[in-house]
Amino acid sequence: MTSPAPALELRAVTKRYGAVTALDGVALVLPRHGVLGLVGENGAGKSTLISVINGTARPTEGQLLVNGRVVSLGSPAEAAHAGIATVFQEQGLVANLRVYENMLLGRERQFSRAGILGATAMRQFARKVLDELGIAIDPLSVTGNLNFGERQLVEIAKAFALGHLYPVEPIVLLDEPTSALSDRETEILFDSIRRWRGKASIILVSHRLADVFAVCDAVTTLKDGRVSGHWPIGDATPDLLHEAIVGRPRSAGYYKEHDQRETLGDVVLELADVHVPGQLRSVSLSVRAGEIVGVAGVLGSGKTALGHVITGALRPSGGEIRVHGRRLRPGSRAAALAADIGSVPAERNIAGVIGMHSVQSNLVLPSIKSFRAPRLPILSGRRQAATTDRWIERLRVKTAGRSQQIRNLSGGNAQKVVFAKWLARGVRVFVLDDPGRGLDVGAKEEIYTLLRSLAKEDVAIVLISDNLPEIIGLSNRIVTFRAGTISAEIPAPAHDKPSETSVVTNMV
Amino acid sequence: MNLRSFFARHGVSLYPLLVILALIAFFGVQNPYFATFDNAMNIGRQSSVLLLVSLAGTMVIMIGSIDLSVGSIVTLAGIVTALAIDPFGPGVAIAAGVGVGVAVGLVNGLTLIALKVPSFLVTLGMLSVLSGIANMICGGSSIMFMDQSLTELVNSEFVPGIPNIILIALVTAAVLTFIAFKTVLGRYLYAIGGGEVVAANTGVPVNRYKVYAFMLSGGLCGLAGVLLTAQVGAGTPAAGANMLLDSIAAIVMGGTALSGGIGGPQRTILGVLVIAILSNGMDVTEVSSFTQEVVKGLVIILAVASTIDRKKYLFIK
Repeated sequence: MTSPAPALELRAVTKRYGAVTALDGVALVLPRHGVLGLVGENGAGKSTLISVINGTARPTEGQLLVNGRVVSLGSPAEAAHAGIATVFQEQGLVANLRVYENMLLGRERQFSRAGILGATAMRQFARKVLDELGIAIDPLSVTGNLNFGERQLVEIAKAFALGHLYPVEPIVLLDEPTSALSDRETEILFDSIRRWRGKASIILVSHRLADVFAVCDAVTTLKDGRVSGHWPIGDATPDLLHEAIVGRPRSAGYYKEHDQRETLGDVVLELADVHVPGQLRSVSLSVRAGEIVGVAGVLGSGKTALGHVITGALRPSGGEIRVHGRRLRPGSRAAALAADIGSVPAERNIAGVIGMHSVQSNLVLPSIKSFRAPRLPILSGRRQAATTDRWIERLRVKTAGRSQQIRNLSGGNAQKVVFAKWLARGVRVFVLDDPGRGLDVGAKEEIYTLLRSLAKEDVAIVLISDNLPEIIGLSNRIVTFRAGTISAEIPAPAHDKPSETSVVTNMV
Repeated sequence: MNLRSFFARHGVSLYPLLVILALIAFFGVQNPYFATFDNAMNIGRQSSVLLLVSLAGTMVIMIGSIDLSVGSIVTLAGIVTALAIDPFGPGVAIAAGVGVGVAVGLVNGLTLIALKVPSFLVTLGMLSVLSGIANMICGGSSIMFMDQSLTELVNSEFVPGIPNIILIALVTAAVLTFIAFKTVLGRYLYAIGGGEVVAANTGVPVNRYKVYAFMLSGGLCGLAGVLLTAQVGAGTPAAGANMLLDSIAAIVMGGTALSGGIGGPQRTILGVLVIAILSNGMDVTEVSSFTQEVVKGLVIILAVASTIDRKKYLFIK
C-alpha cells in the first residue's frame, strides 16, 4: 500500500533574480490536511516561495507537484485550477463589492447564462461556503464595511470557494495572516484553521513563532533561500527554530555592543502621562543624552503612535512632552523641529526622501534656512553644495554626485541621506522608525555604527523597530508596548542583553 | 565639450529649444519677414500676457496642484483695471488689478486647505464664479476708458526697440526663476510638489506654502490682466478665455510635470515661445485659422511627447 501523495510538494526549487539567488534547491512537503508553518527572516525567501507556489513567480529550476501530479510552473491560472489560493497580508478584496461578489470574483462565468449573472445562485453558493466554514459574515454585506479580521476570513472563504468550484481540495497559503490582527481576531482565525483541518491543506507564513506553535503540525525554516530545518511541531522548540532562522547564535559584534555607552547624560526627552484616544494610554518615558531606548510591540500596540507623538505628527489629548525640561507644544511639527527633534520614518520612499529630487535638495531641506545670506532672502548654492559634499563623504554615501536623483541610490545610501539631512541640521532627539528596513546586512551595520557615534555625541535616540535582535542589540533599555501602554521596561546593558523571549512575553 | 556630452548632460531640457529652432527655420524659409527683428517683437507683444499666465500656472503646478482659474482671473482683473483707471488713475488701477488676483488666489488656497477640496475642483468652480462676476460687472460688453497713460506705458520702450510689456514679462520670469532656485519659498514649493509627506516631516509648513503658491499665481494673473487691458485699450469679458489651455500646454511642453516637483518657471519660457512662434508663424504664412487650431493641437501633443523626461515621471495618467 502506498501512502497518499502529499497535497503539495516542491522538489529542488531554485529561483534566481539576476545574480541574486532567492531560493536555492528548496524541497518542501505539505501533507494532505496538514498545517505547515513556514518561518524565516526578512529576505530569507518566504515571499518568493509563496510566489512560486501560487504561480506568480516562475522558478529557474525545480518541480512543483500537487496531489502527486506535476503542475506547470509560473502559471497563476493553473495554480488556481489546482486549488492553490493565497491570502495576502495586503488584502486582495475590492472594498465596494459585496462579500459574495468578492468570493466569486473572476468566477462569475460559472454562475451566468448568456452573459447574465445569476446573482441568486452566487449568493446561495457563497452562503453555503461561509456556513461550512463557520464564518458568521453575511454574504450580502459590503466588504469595505467589515473590519480587517473579517476581511481576512472572507479572503480565506474565497480560497475555499475556489476549491468548491473545481474538483480539488484547496491548498491555502496564509501570508503573515496575524500581523495586523488583534489578539481576539487571531484567536478566531486560529480556531477556524483548526476546524478546517479536514477540508484543506494549509501553509502558514509567519514572523511569530507563537503562531506556529498554536496551529501548525509541522514547521519548516528558511534561511538565505535554503531550507535550514524541518520539525514535526512536537519536536520543535523556540531555541531550535531561532537558531535555524538566524543561522547562528546571535553574533556579538554586529550591533556594536562594545560601543554602547555605560554612563549616560542628563534626561533630554520626557513624556509624562501622554494620552492619545484609542492609541496611547498614560505613557511616561524618559530618554537620556546618549541613550538608545528601544521600543518594541506588535502592530497597533502604540509603538508607532509614540514616535508620531514625539515628532508632533500626532496630537496627544493629555499629558506632557518635555525636551531639556521645556514643555513642547503638542501636535506641532514646527515645535518638535524647534526643539531639534529629528525623525527617520519607516516608509522611506514616501516620508523620508523625495525620489525625483537630488541628493543635495533632500539633504539640505531641513536646514535650508541656514543657507540664507545675512539679511537677504537668497540661498547660497555654494554652501549647500559644500555641506552636501561633506556629509556624502562623512557617511560614505555611494552616489554619482550631489546632483544625482536620490531614486537612483540604493536603499542603504538613501537611508544615509535621510540621516544626513537631520545631522546637517543638528538634532538632540532622534526618533527612528525601523531604520534598517529594506537594507542589506552591510548597510544595516553601517547604520548601527552611525547610531553608536550619535549616542556618543549625546543625542537621545528612540528606536522603534519590528526587528527584535536589532532592538536588543542596539538599545541601552527596552520598553515594550501592549494595548497602547508601556507593559515593561527591560534594561539591556552591553554585557547582559535580554533574551528575545523575555521581550516577546511582554509584547503579547 | 563636444556636442554629444553636452546633450548627455542637459538632455531633454534642450528639446524645446530644438523645436523652437526648427519652427524658426521652417517659417523663415516660408516667409522672409518671419525672421526679422520687427516680427520677433510682434511675437513678444503677442505672448507677454500668455507668459505671465503660464508662469502663474507653473508656480501652482510645481506644488502638484493646478489652477484652472488663471484665465478668468485675467478677465476679472482686466475689467477691474479698466473700471478703476479713469476715476482713480493708473497707479490705483494696477494695484486693484493685481490685488483682485492675489485675493482670488488667497480664496483658492484657503478653500483648498480648509475644505480639503482638490485644487482642480476649487479652481474649476472659481473659473465659473469669476467669469460670471466679470460679466455681471461689465454687462457682457467691453469697458473703454479715456486715460491712456497705462497703454502708453506698456507700449513705450524703456530699452530702445523693445516694448515695455515684453520687458515686464521677461523680468517677471527672471524674478520667479530666482525665487524658484535661490529662496526658501522656491525650495519649499519644489519639496511640496516632490513629496508632500517628506516636506511635512521636515517641518515645511505645507498648508501655508500652498496658499502662497495660489496667491502668487493669482497675483501674476492679475498683473497679466492689467497689462492686457492696457495693451488692448479696453477691459473685455472674454479677455482670458483661451489662456488656460494654452498656458497648460506651454507649462507641460516646457518640462514642468503636472504631478509637481520638477520643472519650473525657466522651463515655461521655452514652452510659451513654442506656442507663440507657431501661432505667429502660421499667421505670417497665411494659414487659415481653422487649420491653425488643428496644427497647434498636433504640435502640442508631439512636442510634449518628445520633450518630457519620462525617466523622471513615476506615473503617466
